[in-house]
Amino acid sequence: MTETEIHLKKFQKELSAGMVSLVLLGVLGQATEPMYGYQIAKRFEGAGEAVLTGKQSALYPVLRNLSASGLLDSFVEPSVSGPPRRYYQITEDGRAVLSEWMNTWNATRGFVDSILKGDSHE
Amino acid sequence: MSNILQTPKTIPEYLELLRAALKGKDPALVQDALYDAEEYLRAELAEHPGQDEASVLEKVSSSYGAPEEVAEIYSEREVAVSEAFRSPRASIQQTQSSAGVASVGVSVNKKPQNPIAWFFGVAADPRAYAALFYMLLSLATGIFYFTWAVTGLSLSLGFMILIIGIPFAVLFMGSVWALSLVEGRLVETMLGVRMPRRPAYVNQEGGFLTRIKEILVDPRTWATLLYMLLMLPLGNIYFNIAFIGLILSLSFLSAPFIYFLGYADHVHLFNTSLAEQPWLVIPMFVIGALGIFVTLHVARGIGKLHGQLAKNLLVHTSANS
Repeated sequence: MTETEIHLKKFQKELSAGMVSLVLLGVLGQATEPMYGYQIAKRFEGAGEAVLTGKQSALYPVLRNLSASGLLDSFVEPSVSGPPRRYYQITEDGRAVLSEWMNTWNATRGFVDSILKGDSHE
Repeated sequence: MSNILQTPKTIPEYLELLRAALKGKDPALVQDALYDAEEYLRAELAEHPGQDEASVLEKVSSSYGAPEEVAEIYSEREVAVSEAFRSPRASIQQTQSSAGVASVGVSVNKKPQNPIAWFFGVAADPRAYAALFYMLLSLATGIFYFTWAVTGLSLSLGFMILIIGIPFAVLFMGSVWALSLVEGRLVETMLGVRMPRRPAYVNQEGGFLTRIKEILVDPRTWATLLYMLLMLPLGNIYFNIAFIGLILSLSFLSAPFIYFLGYADHVHLFNTSLAEQPWLVIPMFVIGALGIFVTLHVARGIGKLHGQLAKNLLVHTSANS
């Protein structure tokens, strides 16, 4: 691993810490029906995956904690393929928090972009 | 981090490697991690019916993560996320963070140096009230667990000569596992000891009989049954300590009210009555007030001890096997 790669990894890790919760809430906020861990993890496959989670196993503890803090509701249903699945859906509190987080994210993104592009609006 | 990671060929192998990688971690965390991994792996396998287990698992190492990576993620992530999300534990932080937003952060659980502050501070500790409530509740849960365990065990043995014997025993063991999760939730919310939120990993391989055998040889099954039996005497003792502590303190506290309401001649103490020695209401009131604090301390202490007992009997036995 070169020096640059180490810095990249560290940055990705720090970036993902808060973003994963936002994206998870976002996924469940749009979902029309409750989703279980594997389904949610599959939504992360593709472009954002490397930055946000690294590995999909990292999503499960976050789901559990979002549920423990009342932003998600969960229930268990048996499945044919394996152990009973835990389904998650967003709560009213979760929706309120999500919209707050989205505002924060939009403001942050605008600010970061403007700095990185170097425009000065004065 | 080593780049040569073992690649498991089957799901039980993967889970075994994950368990090995998590060795020494909080058993409740281990149980949750194994459960999550199994859900993902089995779902992935079901999504790709054409492929064999080994090649699916190889792909999983890059998406879900190899066992060693998953172990690392769980150990790191759980600490980081729970720190950010859990509301602060001690009441002192709650008053500090009344601004609302400030509640996110590492709580500094500083013990007050002053023993007097420590003694009276218990009244502001939500854990003490929760433990007191758990003690009162444990009479009911204790009787229920004991009855369930004894009835289930004796019916299982009795039915053994009939065709329904084995299915009944299996159902009973299943209910014991479910109850151990329920009790875990109770203990975690009321006594503040981290308990598993997912059932323990059960091997899905092998026939019906091997799985029954696994339940029977699992020390967790027997430790849970032992816990359920123990809860009858323990529940009784806890209830009595809590109840007597509260009642004694409250009756001493009520001495001045009784006096002023004019019932003083009904209260007899050491061959004298409150009507003859009215000054007694002051020491009685003080003793009653102190009694409340002592009861809360006792409840908090018993809560801690019982939390450890529950963790050892309901969780540790499985993680060490």
